Amino acid sequence: MEWVTFVEVLLVVFTVSVIFFSGRGVIVQMRRWRATSERQRIEDALKLLLDYQWQQRPISARMLAADLRLSDTAGLRLVNIMQRQGLLETRGSDLQLTTEGQRAALQMMRAHRLLERYLATEARMPLTKVHREAHRLEHTLSPAEVDRLEADLGYPRRDPHGDPIPGPAGEMPSMQASALTAWELNKPAKIVHLEDEPPLAYAQILAEGLRLGQEIRILEITPQRYVLTDGDNEYRLAPAVAANVFVEALPEPSAAANGLVPLKALAHRQKAEIVALDDACQGFTRRRFLDLGLTPGTVIFPELLNSFGDPRAYRVRGTLIALRDEQASQIWVRPLNAQ
Amino acid sequence: MRSKKLNQNPCESCPANAQLAQMGLKIGSFDRVVALAGNPNTGKSTVFNALTGLKQHTGNWPGKTVTRAEGGYVFNNIRYKLVDLPGTYSLLSASQDEEVARNFILFGQPDCTIVVTDATALERNLNLALQVMEITDHVVIAVNLMDEARRKGLEVDTRSLARDLGVPAIPISARTGEGMQTLLMTVEQVISGEIRTQPRRVQGPPELQQAVEALTSKLRQLIPEMPNPRWIAIRLLDGDHRVQEALVSGELLELVQAQRGADVRFSQKIALQGHQ
Amino acid sequence: MTEASLTSASDDSRHSTSRLTVKDLLSSAEALRPTLGEHFRDELVNSLYREAESIARRAVRQKDDHHYDLDQKIDRLVTSPIFGLPLMLLLLAAVFWVTIVGANIPSQMLANALFSLEEQGVAAFNWLGLPWWITGFLWNGVFRGLAWVVSVMLPPMAIFFPIFTILEDLGYLPRVAFNLDFLFKKAGAHGKQSLSMAMGFGCNAAGVISTRVIDSPRERLIAILTNNFVPCNGRFPTLIMLATVFVAAAFPPALASFAAAGSVVLVVMIGAFFTLAVSWALSRTILKGEASAFTLELPPYRVPNIGRILYTSLIDRTFFVLMRAVMTAAPAGAVIWVLGNLSVNGMSLAAHIANFLNPLGVLIGLDGVILLAYIIAIPANEIVVPTMLMVYMGAGMMTESPDHNFLYHLLVGQHGWTLLTAVNLMLFSLLHNPCATTILTIYKETNSKKWAIMSVVITLGLAFLITFLTASLARLAGWVS
Repeated sequence: MEWVTFVEVLLVVFTVSVIFFSGRGVIVQMRRWRATSERQRIEDALKLLLDYQWQQRPISARMLAADLRLSDTAGLRLVNIMQRQGLLETRGSDLQLTTEGQRAALQMMRAHRLLERYLATEARMPLTKVHREAHRLEHTLSPAEVDRLEADLGYPRRDPHGDPIPGPAGEMPSMQASALTAWELNKPAKIVHLEDEPPLAYAQILAEGLRLGQEIRILEITPQRYVLTDGDNEYRLAPAVAANVFVEALPEPSAAANGLVPLKALAHRQKAEIVALDDACQGFTRRRFLDLGLTPGTVIFPELLNSFGDPRAYRVRGTLIALRDEQASQIWVRPLNAQ
Repeated sequence: MRSKKLNQNPCESCPANAQLAQMGLKIGSFDRVVALAGNPNTGKSTVFNALTGLKQHTGNWPGKTVTRAEGGYVFNNIRYKLVDLPGTYSLLSASQDEEVARNFILFGQPDCTIVVTDATALERNLNLALQVMEITDHVVIAVNLMDEARRKGLEVDTRSLARDLGVPAIPISARTGEGMQTLLMTVEQVISGEIRTQPRRVQGPPELQQAVEALTSKLRQLIPEMPNPRWIAIRLLDGDHRVQEALVSGELLELVQAQRGADVRFSQKIALQGHQ
Repeated sequence: MTEASLTSASDDSRHSTSRLTVKDLLSSAEALRPTLGEHFRDELVNSLYREAESIARRAVRQKDDHHYDLDQKIDRLVTSPIFGLPLMLLLLAAVFWVTIVGANIPSQMLANALFSLEEQGVAAFNWLGLPWWITGFLWNGVFRGLAWVVSVMLPPMAIFFPIFTILEDLGYLPRVAFNLDFLFKKAGAHGKQSLSMAMGFGCNAAGVISTRVIDSPRERLIAILTNNFVPCNGRFPTLIMLATVFVAAAFPPALASFAAAGSVVLVVMIGAFFTLAVSWALSRTILKGEASAFTLELPPYRVPNIGRILYTSLIDRTFFVLMRAVMTAAPAGAVIWVLGNLSVNGMSLAAHIANFLNPLGVLIGLDGVILLAYIIAIPANEIVVPTMLMVYMGAGMMTESPDHNFLYHLLVGQHGWTLLTAVNLMLFSLLHNPCATTILTIYKETNSKKWAIMSVVITLGLAFLITFLTASLARLAGWVS
């Protein structure tokens, strides 16, 4: 049975090459994991400690171990290592970051948030997966690489969840946002930050369809739920989840109130004037749009449909440009009266 | 509707007459380098083919010239090397072809850059022209597809264009050969300094202007002969690491000096041969 | 690189004084950056466009208002929800039909001329009294390989490339990308992938290069790895032979050519299906990610310059592809002749190898001879059919293409081909590994051995898997034994 061996060899070659050659292969990942796990744990601890410090909550070695899902002894060992490296000092049972530790923690946060921005806007990863991937990658970047990433992204100030990104020296852009739970009924607000921890609450927020830059007001508050509206849809959130949504007062009357519609919703051949590109549209896509002449004040109208309805082609500055609905929903336009 | 043109022998349309000898691929030595920039679908490659006689194929879809094509032509006894850059809408997005185009204009130091524009979609095309004019003074705008524009009932006043832009604007129609001789003559005059260009520079928002001015004065101290300090300043503010590296490594300084040296050598050579 | 140039710069005293200031300059740029708004890039582009707009407004005057009327009418038809896709398939079928029908007679004439030249060459060598193996090697090996490739490939290419170039110059291809983008989006790929697929009809290596128009590296890799599922010009002879011998034969002669063109379109559609399926699978496994932004300019239609098109497509493309085929066909012809004429234990070497490969071939519904042909054809797919026929006929050299009835009897009658063999050969031809040139191009474009190897692993793996499945299915259902 010669051919049986043949097929077996072939299958083995196929499987083996998948394991080895796809950068995410089993063996590659095992090796990567072992080499970096200690440094990763230190870096995770740094971020956690910074978080507690900002919230002005004390944290003990035991709590740290629990949060990092380590055994108590492993947690203590970690604290010892960090103390020896001058990142950490103890006051009684409380852990405190040193200046050096704080600097390192901010650098980690900077890498993490820039990576999230990169993954969301350039690599087009779904928002729910961005955090985990950034967490995996943040430990592999050198500070110089982080600076370069920042320049490539065009010096963004916020990550895709709306969190501020620390500068190279650890300075934080200021932000005055309040949680939805502290917001008044019916007062118009703009979502500026969606907390991505815990993931479960974040997934619920995204599943409801809330996004950064959206303009909303609270319709109803009960002990069981918050009801929000953006003028078109209603969103329901549990109070615990609503506490993870942060808003700011509207600087000017809202887009919807101004009679703005997304380009995607424009009727066939209806002329309109571009007013703004959505905040959610960042990075390469934003630059491409601008370079194509999709700048504020430009007149645009849908001229061609295709067999599937998506993409549509728009006449803009004398040229036909095809855009997918996803992109067209990121361009705000004001319909012009038909002449 | 244009059946007449279709029946034409294709070589009647190439301006291979009188002063223009086509060199095709034999471009071992040359006196001058001319770059061809432009948006996709402006007939840039047709211009390239008409000038060099190199029948490089060009389809009608965006971005088909993905690498630089090079060819050559002789005009008034000066041998020109013509470099066809990838068609781009802008030089700011840092996509692959935009980087190729930008790096060539900046670091390749062409003696002149022809920006091919589509007469039927000028405002879109002028965006790129203005960006090229930030990098280099030696720019000629070729307003291509004039025949198409006439068919669509458009009247293009290239004199007004030239006045507003501060660089020559030549109406051409590469398919029929219209205006190609004038284009080559103008390129020669821009290189020789007979035509002095004063490219229009776009100011941008006030806070940018201030920052640019602060940096420009520093740049002038650093490299006095720098032809495009404004543009370099904007790139630095934008965090362009290719430009940063070129400054740190001294590459930019060397380029500026090399360019001056080449200018001197070329005018000596031309003077010896008695062409000027 | 930066560090190296830093040290070289510091050797030079002139630079070292300026280096300090360069640092100053860079740090003052850093310091100034925060004074600019968050969207200063936006502002910059806005002001560029505003300026461009006002300059253009002063320079351009619209005399009457009848512009781009015809363009719009064509566009509305070509991208119409009802007619758009059928029109595209019809156009594709028409191109294949013209190619098949138009190439038939010139192919025959070229073959007759070249093979009679061979006869005369052999006669001349014999008259000179040269040993049989020199005559055989040069005329029946090398020359016959060349003659086959030229007569089989030149006429279809000389027809296909100009027609295709006209479509390209007209501006029809971006409309195809526009129509099909929806499918590519679902597969996590880029709509411009259809542009590189269109190039792939001519040559997969050219298709791989043309993926450079895709900005996103992830989507570009997908386009590169799947380009091979578009049958290139070198694979058309195999598909056309199958279509004429097995499909067209079942139709009345008047319809035969339409049936052949239709079945080639069907094969292309199967190829497109695999392209989308593999793109989908890739973007969910090793090339994970969502579809990126898609912006595509639909340029105005331009009347193609027929003279230039004939010139470029004949000289540039046809000649180029033909030369490449000739370069590979000559040595392959020699190899085939040697394999056919060296005997071990009273059987030719070719037959030995074919027998060895036979079990694997049978497993996937083919046979050893077909696999041998594919191994010899790794440098160029064009010689698959002649190699196969050579071994079947035991002729010891590539054979002239006999007529379709003869082929049918040879393949079905004498060598036990079934409908399964034909279908699986078609699938194998569509899915198997890229030719050597394409693999090399993938390596150059991705600058990575890993992706070059992946392109072979994916295609070959899929080819064996799919043909194995169809063969097993056919056997289970009892259609073949």
